[in-house]
Amino acid sequence: MTALLATPKTGAATALRGTRRHRLARSLTVTGALALAVAALFVLTMMVGSFRLSATEVVASVLYLRDDPSVDFVVRGLRLPTAASALTVGLALGASGTIFQQLLRNPLASPDFVGITSGAGLAAVGGIVLLRIGGLAVSGLALGGAIVAALLMYLLAWRGGVSGYRFILIGIGMAVFFDGLIGYVLTKAQLFEARQAMHWLTGSVGQASTAELRLLTGALIVLLPAALLLQRPLRALELGDDAARALGTRTELSRAGLLAVAVVLVSLAVAVAGPIAFVALVAGPVANRLLGPATGGILAAALVGAALLLTADLVAVHLLPTPLPTGVVTGAVGAPYLLWLLATTNRQGAGG
Amino acid sequence: MSERGGRRPTTTALSEPSEVGTVTRLRAEGLALGYDGRIVVPNLDVTVLDRKMTAIVGANACGKSTLLRGLARLLPPKDGAVYLDGRSLADLSTLDVAKVLGLLPQTPVAPDGITVADLVARGRYPHQGWFRRWTARDHDAVARALDATGTADLVDRPIRELSGGQRQRVWVAMALAQDTDLLLLDEPTTFLDINHQVELLRLLRTLNAESGKTIVAVLHDLNLACRFCDHIIAMSDGAIVAEGPPTEIVTAALVEKVFGMACLVVPDPVAGTPMVVPA
Repeated sequence: MTALLATPKTGAATALRGTRRHRLARSLTVTGALALAVAALFVLTMMVGSFRLSATEVVASVLYLRDDPSVDFVVRGLRLPTAASALTVGLALGASGTIFQQLLRNPLASPDFVGITSGAGLAAVGGIVLLRIGGLAVSGLALGGAIVAALLMYLLAWRGGVSGYRFILIGIGMAVFFDGLIGYVLTKAQLFEARQAMHWLTGSVGQASTAELRLLTGALIVLLPAALLLQRPLRALELGDDAARALGTRTELSRAGLLAVAVVLVSLAVAVAGPIAFVALVAGPVANRLLGPATGGILAAALVGAALLLTADLVAVHLLPTPLPTGVVTGAVGAPYLLWLLATTNRQGAGG
Repeated sequence: MSERGGRRPTTTALSEPSEVGTVTRLRAEGLALGYDGRIVVPNLDVTVLDRKMTAIVGANACGKSTLLRGLARLLPPKDGAVYLDGRSLADLSTLDVAKVLGLLPQTPVAPDGITVADLVARGRYPHQGWFRRWTARDHDAVARALDATGTADLVDRPIRELSGGQRQRVWVAMALAQDTDLLLLDEPTTFLDINHQVELLRLLRTLNAESGKTIVAVLHDLNLACRFCDHIIAMSDGAIVAEGPPTEIVTAALVEKVFGMACLVVPDPVAGTPMVVPA
């Protein structure tokens, strides 16, 4: 076999070409189909409700193509903010979750579990209960809480570099600690504030304000392309730090950049919609199932996140007898997935 | 040296020795290496012979893997420096180094479910840019690496389904796809049975003979090191005890000194290289 060393045009070259072409086609098809599905769901959530609209009416109103005051009021005034919130929060959670999972090389390492969401929750609940604030200020606090929690974890996990395993353990510890504090703060609350805090903690895409949405949309426009560029060092980092360095990656810089992108996205998503359970955990693995193993498409994961959240919102608001917060629906779908993940990862020897 | 001109396009930044008198491409001077506060290698000078296959041997925890990691800039020197083509590694961009110097770590991680083709293709990392992703050159390098390691039939198989020997050959293929003139390997034979150890060393030997690649491997088995390598570096307590061709340096006294084991050294009945037999 080694006699073929000098001549590259061989069976291997052909097999390789076929494999790569197949993968590229699959990736384009899957990502394109996901984008279409997300667009369709986005329009669909704005069509259904007590005042039914056609797809053309919705699209025309969103794009300012036609002037019809009653339709515009329903679409732009009532339904667009919720739909846009589900779309952007879903994109952010999907992208952020898959970056965490790939970076920390563990399917359980979604921001829900490593304490970032809990940090946001603690800050928000503290604001609602102790400072008696509401609205945008709560979102601001949640954003700050998530970022502080992430920084704290990074510093605690730092020992001449951050290893994935230590980061996860410290993150899980912090999550438990924050959840304990949230419980303690709630015991100090009056009934009204306690209800408000509990509502925030379930997570709902219907509570977003325009300012928050603008911020999240702006962040996505900047950070999603950044995440796609950082996919390159991420593919090397997945092979372990030594291999990544040998390939010429600046490991700490790339890791810090990736963590920063993921943390800002998840923080803003939590600030907008509260802690929506499981979307960040599920999106990456679902995208990998569609794209093929170890492909790690951040864009596909973001689209899966958006599709999941738009669907959850449809189910929560329109299909169930009583409208429920979105977080309840994603939790009901996500919990069985988590059990399945816990049951199967160790069998495959990939429990990390 | 004359053949190197053909390779120049990939190694423009580094292929010409910048100092007069630089005869080897990779060397270390006054190198001190360690982890946290602990110094493992206090002060070491070493020169890697071009186009030769070198084995670093020594007892457990003697600093041989540490030295290899230091040579591959995975571990920053506490003191001294490693020079590649006359320039200190600390002054070179890590991406430029990766075009010339490859390393297969002791325990690389295969992402869950990754296929052979995908893994080997990741060896092309240093040759690709943020936007320039995949070219015919990348394709050829990966195909050559698959052919050279006999893993071309496995391209669509997931790594975790492969045997230990196959898996190690795939990792070597990834390092080959990086297309570097120098290749360092940290204990590449450790988890392999004797048959696969020999097979892998034969592969490295062939790569060295056919493409003039400089190879440095940390090896545990002294007999295999003597059999397959041109040059042996024997280490003990973070220092080099002896170095040279196996037939010249491997003696009962050296083995006693490095491994603390009494032995006889007899000629290998097949190749005539030194063979260590415990006394």
